[in-house]
Amino acid sequence: MKINYSREYLRSEKKGFAFVVPALLFMLAFVGYPIIYNFILSVYNVDIMTLGQQHKEFVGLKNYIDVFNNPLMLISIWNTFLFTIGSISIQFVIGFALALFFNLEFTLAKPMRGLLVVSWMIPMTVIALLSKFMLSPSGGIINQLLLNLQIIDQPIGWLINNSTALWSVILANSWVGIPFNMILLTTGLSNISKSLYEAAEVDGATSLQKFFYITLPQLRPAILSVVILGFIYTFKVFDLVFVATGGGPVNATELMSTLAYKLSFAQFAFSKGATVANVLFIILFVVSLGYLKLIRKDEVIN
Amino acid sequence: MKTLVLRTKEKNYMLSFIAIVIGVIFLFPLYWIVVSSLKTNVEIFASIPTLIPHNITFSAYTDQLTGPNNILNSFGNSLLIATLSMVLSIILAVPAAYGLARFPMRTTKIFIMIFLVTQMLPVTLILTPMFLIYKNLGILDTYLAPALSDATISIPFVILILRTYFLSLPKELEDSAKIDGCSTFMAFIKIMLPISYPGLVMAAAFSFLFAWGDLAYALTFISTPESRPMTAGIYNFMGKYGTEWNKIMAYGTLLVLPVVAIFVVLQKYIVAGLTNGAVKE
Repeated sequence: MKINYSREYLRSEKKGFAFVVPALLFMLAFVGYPIIYNFILSVYNVDIMTLGQQHKEFVGLKNYIDVFNNPLMLISIWNTFLFTIGSISIQFVIGFALALFFNLEFTLAKPMRGLLVVSWMIPMTVIALLSKFMLSPSGGIINQLLLNLQIIDQPIGWLINNSTALWSVILANSWVGIPFNMILLTTGLSNISKSLYEAAEVDGATSLQKFFYITLPQLRPAILSVVILGFIYTFKVFDLVFVATGGGPVNATELMSTLAYKLSFAQFAFSKGATVANVLFIILFVVSLGYLKLIRKDEVIN
Repeated sequence: MKTLVLRTKEKNYMLSFIAIVIGVIFLFPLYWIVVSSLKTNVEIFASIPTLIPHNITFSAYTDQLTGPNNILNSFGNSLLIATLSMVLSIILAVPAAYGLARFPMRTTKIFIMIFLVTQMLPVTLILTPMFLIYKNLGILDTYLAPALSDATISIPFVILILRTYFLSLPKELEDSAKIDGCSTFMAFIKIMLPISYPGLVMAAAFSFLFAWGDLAYALTFISTPESRPMTAGIYNFMGKYGTEWNKIMAYGTLLVLPVVAIFVVLQKYIVAGLTNGAVKE
């Protein structure tokens, strides 16, 4: 079936294009093209030796096979998932608790909630430096505090210790994510109709019942978006870990993003770095598609 | 009746008190950056931490003011890159947001999807190809390279939040301007931009802050230490100062300063922008 658009519609559409196209072209040139370029890099052999040559060797999927045969790759995938799931869980639980708390009616609720958002905006580099400082075995306040409370008897090098490093960066990352979760869940809470709670009160429901039978089910879409967006934003974190630990100690905090960076810019194996970045991208892409499907479905419902 | 009023009042006090405790704990790290930058290293390494410095000293700042790589130089570089990127994204993103909000197009949905997806891409994905592309263009090691790539982060974000913003503004004003003989573009410039001032300020603040906080692009594209912004400069810096935490925290304070300043002024818009931009198209 062919729909005929009026001349007026087409004229206004043209105007719309004129406004949108510059930004679109910019994004295609500086994001779209690099993505394709990145894919091409991943099937060729480009490193510091071959970079200057005209002809570059096509190697097919060899880079992918090499990368997956590198034990570091499997470690970094595992760490990335641990980092992401750990961060999301902490962010979500605390963010949700804070959203519920600040949803109560009291004088300081709104100003205090707004104030907490500031941690979301602090550059990741600063957060990395700060966690290095606060968690440092000498002069770090966390160790000083725990020592003085006699919880530990000697300082722990949280970020330089194999078993604690990943958890330490997860905690640091959660500090940034908590306000994000809190604000999005607050919006979700404010969309729940008050009449539902009033009706439940008439029926004599307890607060616990109200939470499980009204709040949680009504909040489902908001919870889903917060978790999926959290996944997308956490899965690609680079700066925080790169500055705080550099992927160490002994790869304990190596993520796919830091591994890709090191392959490209420390070993100058550009194709290998591009390959790791591509694997990261494919995983993210699948999750993003899920998210887009979700908000589409939401729109249909609304 | 009287006891009920008293109870709500007490409840209000109690909840406000808990809120303050939460705020103090949550924002303590921020306080700690600033306070530590005003201490001597001797005081920092004392076994009992001091919440308020005994001797306030600015030496952590003044010690870093000299040399080719000094802190003011890096601060200036950061400012330049962030401003450049902000101007670029405002020029491109504001008209795009307006176009998407005002003109029905068959491809509107696709455009929005494209911007939504680009917002979610990992920095690492385009780092390697962009490095090689900038190398070929000959703009590696200039401010332009990170500014251009930083703009790719802020443009989709600004488009998505400003589109919702433009949608909420009345259409009548532009229509009447057009009847008076204004072209579409002039109506946008003369009528729409002035009344959407709060939205524009918010968009500018976000694009500035995205570029201000970027590490990966600046670190990769700028190799000359003197040209590096603060975030990337931290690399030269940590090697130089090791565990002189007061200096590192002074550095951190300067890096946080513009963020907090912008946040204090624009808090209301930022919280709203975060909700609009992230939740839905």
